[in-house]
Amino acid sequence: MMDELELLKKDWQKKEEHLPKLSYDAIHQMTWKKSSSIVKWILIISILEITLPFLLYLLPSLKEGMAVYEKSSFNTYYLWVSILYYIVVFYFVFLFYKRYREISVLDDAKNLMRKIMKTRRTVKYYIIFSLSMVLVTVVMMMMGVYFNNDFISFFEEMGKNHEHVSPEKFKVSLILSIAVMGGVMTLVAGAIYFLLYGLLLRKLKKNYTELRRLEV
Amino acid sequence: MNKELEHQFVTELESNQNIVHKVCSLYTNHRDAHNDLFQEITIQLWKAYPKFRGDSKFSTWMYRVALNTAITLYRKSKKRIRTQDYESVIFKIKADEYDETQEQQLKLMYKAVKQLGDIDKALVFLYLEDKNYSEIAETLGISEVNARVKMNRIKTKLRTILNP
Repeated sequence: MMDELELLKKDWQKKEEHLPKLSYDAIHQMTWKKSSSIVKWILIISILEITLPFLLYLLPSLKEGMAVYEKSSFNTYYLWVSILYYIVVFYFVFLFYKRYREISVLDDAKNLMRKIMKTRRTVKYYIIFSLSMVLVTVVMMMMGVYFNNDFISFFEEMGKNHEHVSPEKFKVSLILSIAVMGGVMTLVAGAIYFLLYGLLLRKLKKNYTELRRLEV
Repeated sequence: MNKELEHQFVTELESNQNIVHKVCSLYTNHRDAHNDLFQEITIQLWKAYPKFRGDSKFSTWMYRVALNTAITLYRKSKKRIRTQDYESVIFKIKADEYDETQEQQLKLMYKAVKQLGDIDKALVFLYLEDKNYSEIAETLGISEVNARVKMNRIKTKLRTILNP
């Protein structure tokens, strides 16, 4: 085998003349093309993931949902949770940017892959955090409905006709539908995320593990 | 970025383009994929070029960027169409320099190398380019001892691919 690989080496160095040759202009044009590297994909997807939850709050149905809290005692809690949420989000954005900047194609292969994985992990934790926040919001909404005695008057204000439905029954079904909606939303968002990254980084993860395992 | 730097970069890449083509021919099976990878490596080289500033040889620096790009680039499932005719162009062997068996052997060897994983290919590539183990280790970010161990494993792997 040793000899065969040496033979291959000799041949390898001879076959240069059969390689394609690109002109100056062809190479020059390439320097202006857009990159399709994995790092760029992670950046694009991450920006989408970080902005998407904010866009969701702009949806009218969610705004209406929020209106419940403006009238309730949960208002202050909600405010604090929001402040905490934004602090954590900004921390994640900062961390992501810092790690993203650390990625350099000039690094050795192992370090490069380690940094890409680290950047990705930041986004992963952000997603887990976001999804848990959705769940916390859902639980808060449920509790808000359950404990709020002004609840019925609130719906009166909104012009809903509740005369034919018993208030208790309406309350329970509302809580249940919030729970189901929230659960499904979280599941779908989580599934999309893990599928996307799972596919995108499967190969990189395999290569990285291969190099890392060698060092143990 | 300024025109002069750009001209300098394109000129250097043009005269060293063989390195990139060789990496592309190892990591792709298909002319379109070869060109895509070449383009991506060019973009990465150009983006990193302002940091280059000649403390090492341009070609040495190219090996690292080219291999890093090839290893980390996301690729859809490998296309195996047109593999045959493409390989015969790239890995053409001059018939008068070798006898039949040797030619056959080399063809099989190239095929076996192309079946290796991304990391193994990088090691074989650097080995074929006559890089020593310390350079190989440095490019991949592993220790020299481990680079040797890995290379021996690859040799065993190649042997099993060749003689199943």
